[in-house]
Amino acid sequence: MNRPDLVDTKRVSVEIEAEAEKRRRQDQEIARLEREIAQVWTDIAPDRDSPETASDESPLLDQIANQAALDPHVPIGSRRGLRSIKRVIRKLTYWYMRFMSDQFNVFAAMLVRHLRNLETRLGRLEGAAGYPVAQSVPAGLGIVKNPPEPSATVVSYVASFTGSGPCLVISGGEGAIVEAIGNRGVLAHGVEQEPDRVLAGLKRQLDIRTGDVLAHLFDAEDESFGTIVLTGVVETLPLANLLGMVDQASQKLEKTGRIIMAVADPASRGRVDAELGSGLGISPITWRHLLESVGFDARLEPCPDSRIAEIVVAHRTAKQSHP
Amino acid sequence: MSPAVDLLIPLMASGDATSNHTRLIRELLEERDIDVRIVVERKIRSDSSTIPIEKWTGGAQVSILQHSIGSEVAQSVIRKKAPVVLNYHNITPASYFQAWQPELAKSVQRGRQQLSQLAPITRRGIADSEFNARELRGLGIDDVVVAPVLWQLGNGPQPADGNDEAVDEEGGTVLFVGRLAPNKCQHDLIAAFAVLSRFRPQSRLVLVGDASPPQYLQSLKSLARRLDVTDRVVFAGKVSDKNLLQWYQLSDVLACASEHEGFGVPLVEAMANGLPVVAYDAAAVGETLGDSGIVLSDKRPATMAMALHRVLGDKQLRTSLRHRGIESAQRFDISVTREQMWVALKDLLEAED
Repeated sequence: MNRPDLVDTKRVSVEIEAEAEKRRRQDQEIARLEREIAQVWTDIAPDRDSPETASDESPLLDQIANQAALDPHVPIGSRRGLRSIKRVIRKLTYWYMRFMSDQFNVFAAMLVRHLRNLETRLGRLEGAAGYPVAQSVPAGLGIVKNPPEPSATVVSYVASFTGSGPCLVISGGEGAIVEAIGNRGVLAHGVEQEPDRVLAGLKRQLDIRTGDVLAHLFDAEDESFGTIVLTGVVETLPLANLLGMVDQASQKLEKTGRIIMAVADPASRGRVDAELGSGLGISPITWRHLLESVGFDARLEPCPDSRIAEIVVAHRTAKQSHP
Repeated sequence: MSPAVDLLIPLMASGDATSNHTRLIRELLEERDIDVRIVVERKIRSDSSTIPIEKWTGGAQVSILQHSIGSEVAQSVIRKKAPVVLNYHNITPASYFQAWQPELAKSVQRGRQQLSQLAPITRRGIADSEFNARELRGLGIDDVVVAPVLWQLGNGPQPADGNDEAVDEEGGTVLFVGRLAPNKCQHDLIAAFAVLSRFRPQSRLVLVGDASPPQYLQSLKSLARRLDVTDRVVFAGKVSDKNLLQWYQLSDVLACASEHEGFGVPLVEAMANGLPVVAYDAAAVGETLGDSGIVLSDKRPATMAMALHRVLGDKQLRTSLRHRGIESAQRFDISVTREQMWVALKDLLEAED
């Protein structure tokens, strides 16, 4: 790598600050915008000078933890003769004392820890009331490949099955499904975890958001989607996450909403992928069974694609209950 | 029989800088045939290499405590008056969390109380940065050594080729990596981004990291909505190492408005991956970056926005920052920092032989 002419970064920093100050003076719009932004944040953020201050904390549990501890190293005093006698006694009783004190200390530490956990949980409950903690999807094994982007055939089939209400696509990939659904006049957005796919979608001006897909579902309002499309990353999730996803999806669907599953059959994986991805993803036929068991009216639609041969289309029914 | 070294840490978690640091210290010592044990507050059942603090009786030749928050582990050390090597990563002032999550404020405040109690029984302080070292010396710990956090992202940095290029005139991807927390001031980044959007309407801001406290994330989303930049602010959440590396490679500049950083691992990761950095000069940020980034003494929205705009649009500056960053990050390369950590511990271990 050739070493380029290096710029004096300190000088550049000073220049930028001076330029910003100049713009602030010359351009009233910039100064106004900064004031507005500051005001917006003041409105949103809680008061930093909250009356409840951290200094109120009583170190009571710390005191208990310290005082409850037994020390087997008995003090041996300062007078020379007495010190020797005490030292002998301490050596003779050490193993017994140590055994007793260890048991007591473990018990006391456990007790204090549980009290502290209780305190933390109560605090969290008080502090975070109204902020549900989303069940998150594990980051993935890393060694299991992400499914490829859906083919044009799958995209057009999925789009043709969507209803009229707002649509959520998990995972959204680069946005082909979102775009196709949008072209039908339906409001749609996708959620995707892979950075390159998110940026590719954003570059095409598509509504692709990023983050934990289950958390995204959890945060959505109940009955807010007409259609939820599950594809992509869904093929690499373990059953427990898939059950959680179905539970969440059914809550977030409108009363006449539908779930569309576009996933490859795990049985069609090559040997390496099958072994590495053992237990991850389920087949369209199992999806249909699962969705029917929680009250959906589900059917398999054939799709002329080399990876995804069948698409599951499941409508909510009146008899539906959550798994 | 007690091992030669006990590494005490509240919790070993994946994706956590202090946990990774602890794992790398263990590797460093075990390679030198030193017997190491990790002592934790909460043991993960599947990890047989750790023991819970209740079973810790001291007795190792050297006990190294990782300290960055109030913990039962630190409390046990204080209670036993066990001499320790204090590996200090700094503690965020409680005032940042008080209004958002009082119990977190209590936890960090407890950490500070414990820090004062640990000072008299500290054999040696090991600080990530000179900033942290000053704080330890201020507590009366005379023997303080600076040895940066040991870190390694995936198989090592992979500087992207495209970062020398000027970015599309109207676009650009601005990245921040770190917990979404009030002391990290992502709200200032969204504010700066709202101004940057005036100059670059196709630009994006990507915030990678878990929210702590969750209320802060809700407020950031509200702020983005009120400033009309929701569709271009990406909340990526916690990501895998592989995805993190991709974000570094796909972004055009790393922005940091944090007011409290004891070291700043993401700054080093960005530099190592050839990503230019624009940062507010607070705590250890300036020290970590050196002259390898644009370090600002003012983080008002227009100032940060103009700095980002300049870095995105000035090809010569981008090239310079990229090269300086890669060079500067070598100070924190694992081969260098491992040696610094070994030097910090070596005489203590030899003295006990």
